[in-house]
Amino acid sequence: MTSERNRWSIVADVLTGLLALIWLLPLIFTILMSLRPSNVPITVGNIFIGCGPFEELDVLCRFTLDNYYEAWLVAPWLQHLLTSVLVVIGVLGVQMITMTLAGYAFAKLRFRGRGLLLGFILLQLMIPTGVLLVQNLTLVRELGVFDTRWALMMPYWGTAFGVLLIRQTFRGVPTDLEEAARIDGANTLQILARVYVPLSLPTYVAFALVSISARWNEFLWPFIATRTAEVRPLTVALNQLYQTTEVGAQYGELMAGTLLVIAPLVVLFLLFQRRFIESFASSGIK
Amino acid sequence: MSEHLPEKTRNWSVLTPYLLVAPTVILVFLFTVYPSFQTIYQSLFQPGLSRSDPPIFVGLQNYVDLFDSTHFLGSRLMLIFRNTLVFAGATVAISLPIALVMALLVNRRVRGLALWRFSFFYPTVLPLIGAASIWAFLYADTVGLINTVLRSLGLPSVNWTGDPNVVLLSVTVVNIWKQTGFYMIFYLAGLQSIPRDIYEAAALDGAGYFQQLFRLTLPLLRRTTLFLLIVSFTYAFQTVEHLQVLNQGNPADRGNLLLYFVFQLIGSRRNLGYVNAITVILVGLLLIFTISNFLIFERGGDDDQ
Repeated sequence: MTSERNRWSIVADVLTGLLALIWLLPLIFTILMSLRPSNVPITVGNIFIGCGPFEELDVLCRFTLDNYYEAWLVAPWLQHLLTSVLVVIGVLGVQMITMTLAGYAFAKLRFRGRGLLLGFILLQLMIPTGVLLVQNLTLVRELGVFDTRWALMMPYWGTAFGVLLIRQTFRGVPTDLEEAARIDGANTLQILARVYVPLSLPTYVAFALVSISARWNEFLWPFIATRTAEVRPLTVALNQLYQTTEVGAQYGELMAGTLLVIAPLVVLFLLFQRRFIESFASSGIK
Repeated sequence: MSEHLPEKTRNWSVLTPYLLVAPTVILVFLFTVYPSFQTIYQSLFQPGLSRSDPPIFVGLQNYVDLFDSTHFLGSRLMLIFRNTLVFAGATVAISLPIALVMALLVNRRVRGLALWRFSFFYPTVLPLIGAASIWAFLYADTVGLINTVLRSLGLPSVNWTGDPNVVLLSVTVVNIWKQTGFYMIFYLAGLQSIPRDIYEAAALDGAGYFQQLFRLTLPLLRRTTLFLLIVSFTYAFQTVEHLQVLNQGNPADRGNLLLYFVFQLIGSRRNLGYVNAITVILVGLLLIFTISNFLIFERGGDDDQ
């Protein structure tokens, strides 16, 4: 019985390792390619590292950071990075405010039309903003924010997902705490800032991780809503790099550029693995 | 004056909830509801001959054209629509079983849990365009990893993003690689919510691992599976950004998808009516899925009237 159990657990271990390897291989390969000297061709006996078959041990001397340097020169990365960071912060900051206000009203206040207004907001979950490309493009043009960072932020300021999430959390906050604060003369905004928000920090963190990765990773909308290089985020810059370099010839440079773009999120994920997974889970079922 | 004060305060507190929800309601109206109605309305028009001419009302003609296989866009749409269904169906059919296996593997007492979790989940946090640029190189014709491995095994190399019979598969594989870890976490949550003593009872009855898996675990995960079926199918309609780097819908639309098609047509004023009509069709499809999701999972689960 036990030996059979052990056998299955070994099979499961091997399967785990194999699946993980398959899933990791693209990343490993990308890292190796980005470090490979561009004058060392990929051949059958020499796939992974830029060394001849008998020089495998001599790996470090063949690795180079030249590709990163070359990729760095191709685009104004710092500008794109600034845009990506500003958009992420500009979206998240406003979302936090709008969702806190609405989430409190829907969680704790009774008012006419509450169900109707909540249903109205939920329309956003049914019709994803990312699909309404054409009309949102017309809209940002009419609002005069086409080709600015505002165009990348404004469509996401209101968030049905955020409202639902924070409403759920606020419901668990005892109303006694609120009443105590009210007796002390605090108004609604002060109560939110002093009672509700501090007690709901984990929910805000969960929401933030989902929001940050969604905005950081977005491509189609930033691509059509902007034209000037300096207001275009990293994803659009990566596409530019892709379209202007030759896949066959400058692969090292491309892979270096790709890693520059994905590194911040991968590092963030490495640091906050558990929280990331929990918050992505909350983005599905409530 | 002093008599007015309480009245004023009361009015104010009546208004408070509306003021609190106003920002979100206005933003949702502006960027979701209004554009949706505009999309429907403008799908009934063709642009004027020149930029200064007013649009011409054509009724449902744009839709008729789009479903007409002899029309220049209609013929493309048919193919792209079919591609999208295959892409979504294949993503669901392949990634959900793998996601379940991953969840079962990670849900054991294993060493190196953090590493396995990272391996399976990290593609989820990558931008799709970044994932595509990684895979574009794996797929590359002569220098790519996959073809180099094939050649070293003495097999012929494959034009992964250029062969009309292969391109849809290549595009789907990237999506599967990217999404499976995301779906895994829902199975993981489902597994962890199953009480352990159920298994202990089954083990006492002499049920082996696979019997437990098929008789207990899978039935208990039915809700999760149903949820993931709908969610992953809807997601697949929206995850198209990798096409920009991999194949731009080529060759000859054999590797094209609905939302990417919209994206491609946006620049041309001549096709504006059609682009709106295609968006209506796309949103309509998504609505069917999300509404069925709401009906299945939210009904009775919410205490709002």
